[in-house]
Amino acid sequence: MHEHVVETKNLSKRYGDFVALDNLSIHVDRGQILGFIGPNGAGKTTTIKILVGLSRPTSGSAFIGGVNCSEKASQIKRLVGYMPDRFGSYDNMRVHEYLDFFGAIFGLNRSARRKRIADVMELTDTTYMQDKFVESLSHGMQQRVGIARTLLHNPEVLILDEPANGLDPKARIDMRQLLLRLASEEKTLIVTSHILPELARICDTVAIVSGGKVRAFGPLDEVMRSLCPLRSYEVQLANPEQLDPAAAILAKRLHASEPITLSRAERVLRFPTVRSEDELAHLLQGLIAEDILVSQFREVASDLEDAFLSVSAGSAGHA
Amino acid sequence: MFISENPILRRELFSRLRSPKTFLAISSVAVVSTLLVLLRWPTDASIDLMSQGALQVFRPLAFALATGLMMLIPAFPATALVSERRRGTLALLLNSPTTPFQIYLGKFTGNVILALVIFSVSLPALAACYAMGGISFVDHLGPLLLVLLGMAIQYTAVGLWISAIVNSADASLRWTYAAVLTLSFLSLGPTVFVGKLSGIQSLLAHWATAISPISALQSITGSQAQASEIGISTGWPEFLMASCMITVVLSLITLMKLDPRLVERARPTGKVIGRKATTTPFNGWFRRVSYLVDPQRAKGNIPWWLNPIMVKEFRTRKFGRLHWLIRLISICGVSSLLLTFVAATGTVSWGVDRIAPTMVLLQVALLLLLGPCLGANLIASEVESGGWELLRASPVLPIRILTGKLMSTFWTLILMLLATLPGYVVMGYIQPALSGQVGNVVVSLVIAIFMVTTISACVSGFCRTTAVATATSYAVLLTLFAGTLLIWVARGKPFGPLLVERALQLNPAAAALAEMKTPGFEQYRLTPDCWYLCLGISCVCLAILSMRVWRMTRPD
Repeated sequence: MHEHVVETKNLSKRYGDFVALDNLSIHVDRGQILGFIGPNGAGKTTTIKILVGLSRPTSGSAFIGGVNCSEKASQIKRLVGYMPDRFGSYDNMRVHEYLDFFGAIFGLNRSARRKRIADVMELTDTTYMQDKFVESLSHGMQQRVGIARTLLHNPEVLILDEPANGLDPKARIDMRQLLLRLASEEKTLIVTSHILPELARICDTVAIVSGGKVRAFGPLDEVMRSLCPLRSYEVQLANPEQLDPAAAILAKRLHASEPITLSRAERVLRFPTVRSEDELAHLLQGLIAEDILVSQFREVASDLEDAFLSVSAGSAGHA
Repeated sequence: MFISENPILRRELFSRLRSPKTFLAISSVAVVSTLLVLLRWPTDASIDLMSQGALQVFRPLAFALATGLMMLIPAFPATALVSERRRGTLALLLNSPTTPFQIYLGKFTGNVILALVIFSVSLPALAACYAMGGISFVDHLGPLLLVLLGMAIQYTAVGLWISAIVNSADASLRWTYAAVLTLSFLSLGPTVFVGKLSGIQSLLAHWATAISPISALQSITGSQAQASEIGISTGWPEFLMASCMITVVLSLITLMKLDPRLVERARPTGKVIGRKATTTPFNGWFRRVSYLVDPQRAKGNIPWWLNPIMVKEFRTRKFGRLHWLIRLISICGVSSLLLTFVAATGTVSWGVDRIAPTMVLLQVALLLLLGPCLGANLIASEVESGGWELLRASPVLPIRILTGKLMSTFWTLILMLLATLPGYVVMGYIQPALSGQVGNVVVSLVIAIFMVTTISACVSGFCRTTAVATATSYAVLLTLFAGTLLIWVARGKPFGPLLVERALQLNPAAAALAEMKTPGFEQYRLTPDCWYLCLGISCVCLAILSMRVWRMTRPD
């Protein structure tokens, strides 16, 4: 049986007539990474603020480690490491002093703090920048220091708002490895990001929210299957002159709802379909029977962006 | 391109005119000028052949307008360039076909026109003085308007220059107000404090006096007798000449700075040489001798008995770092001892009875210069930088945040006060009768520190940006400290002794001056009522601030 470290039950938040959250229910288990996705204004930050005790829900409840987030906010703050989308820099302060300050306000005693700062700096690979002023750091460095700060009090849950935002590819890879390493240390992570391929590589579970409602929630592959039932197939030909005859053969066998697109440069035909593996095998057999030289016949995996776009399009349609 | 078509001027002027701060400034000038005329307007029907009636209305009005201009106008140019640089819009301007001269001209003209608009609402009050028949346009009104214009262009040039060389809006405000204070009051120092000079020293002192608008205002308002009593003899034409020269020089310097290098300024990366691997004994020894403490030595972890918020406030402030605090305190201590020494040895014509009030005034000037800036930074800068969100997400209690922040300002100001105590001790040794008064002066100054800290911190709690909090704190505290002294200046008519005493009871600096029997303050018995009243105001501010901090740390 899984232990839900983070759980929200019918969470709602209203600001006057505006509904920021509408019966949002999600849960995350220990050591899992939840990708929290949604367009701007979807309710992600509101949910996060409720989870870290900075906002109260209008109705419903949120729990972290079994502790009610709105009733025991001070206890929650010790259980959660929160990294907002703004770094929260201070002038004239060096990285070591910055971490020391946050360690002190989380009540770590001096010797424990010294050791913990050294540990988190090593974990986040920030030891070399301990004497630099925090405002002089690059964005990527600041993000690492931000994560080091959230880890100081050794929280069970880390909530990171857009940690990969503005990072270069190298820094993004480093960040991904760091988050996976934290998850392997039994930390539970909730990560929001607009860089969906990045998120797809690290998340166990995703929650896609829009208009304050959960549109999809569950393990990544299940969400993909439920949101993208149409599988996309690609047929690559050895001879580009056979593209049109091949398209004609496929068009005869496919339905009108399975439109074929051609890419002459790639010598590829693409079509979406809901057909079974057997039906697709027959389709391939048909092409070969007509002397079409097929070099590849493969399924193109849908990604999180497709799922997100299908939800966004759906919610826009509802609106 | 005509100046009216300058896009920078149009944007600068219209955006400033649309802001609530400008509306507040215009309203304040209108209300104060109208009230002053109403209060001073003669109530008897007798004919005033000496035209003293008009001058009695005109004099406080002229000084009030000049004080208002000093308080309100520097805040606008002081943030004009630094804010653009911080937002990144200065780089866009410098990358456009607009020349640096057009950018400067737009900003300069926009701020001067804004000053004229704000103070134009006082024209009906000035016209009322003129209508009384005792003053002329050529001798009084015209020169006053020219002096106010001279002040506006001078302070705008100073504000823009400082705005081009500093890195933050609050630092720009702090240095601009310090510069305005120096130009307006401290420039009188050589003439007033040192007394009779000769040769080149006399010429330099004369031109230093000409920089200040006070001598010009005194010559316009017919107060030459009071001016010559303290050795001031310059008139308004000299002030205008000095003002134009300063404006031209500072404008040229600012223009030279307005190039892409201004936005390319590298951020200091930090260099610590206190750690084992990088320490060289000679460098460490040299820095310890130079600064008394090594500014580059790595700081230790915050001990359990110190409030981490207080330590953070000290560390994030440039002047909060130990080597800066030591410098500041040393300057205060040496200045106070020097003043007492010159009084004791008769180097100047003043005795202890005049040096003591001077020390009080200098302390209050320093307090008013640093206090609002330190206090206004406490909460607004935390909110602006995003640090407040992190504090809210931590388990630290609101009371700990509040005490840590207040103590960081209070201790800085108290340390400066303590540094001046040796001067008072020597004074007490020279004139033992002063010992009791010195005790009361110290109490008054401690209360002034408490008041400055709580009021500026309270203002900070309600502002979203540091620049607004700093400017508002300066305006509120200068109104309280300088405004009450303005009522004292107009003592006798129309303000009766009771009203003047009541007003002065709001000002702990006035209580200190009264304790020191400063000329003009001898007849007022301000302590201990002033202490209770100021403590009451401070406690109300503290209560409001506590509520605000509690509210700001609660979940939304």
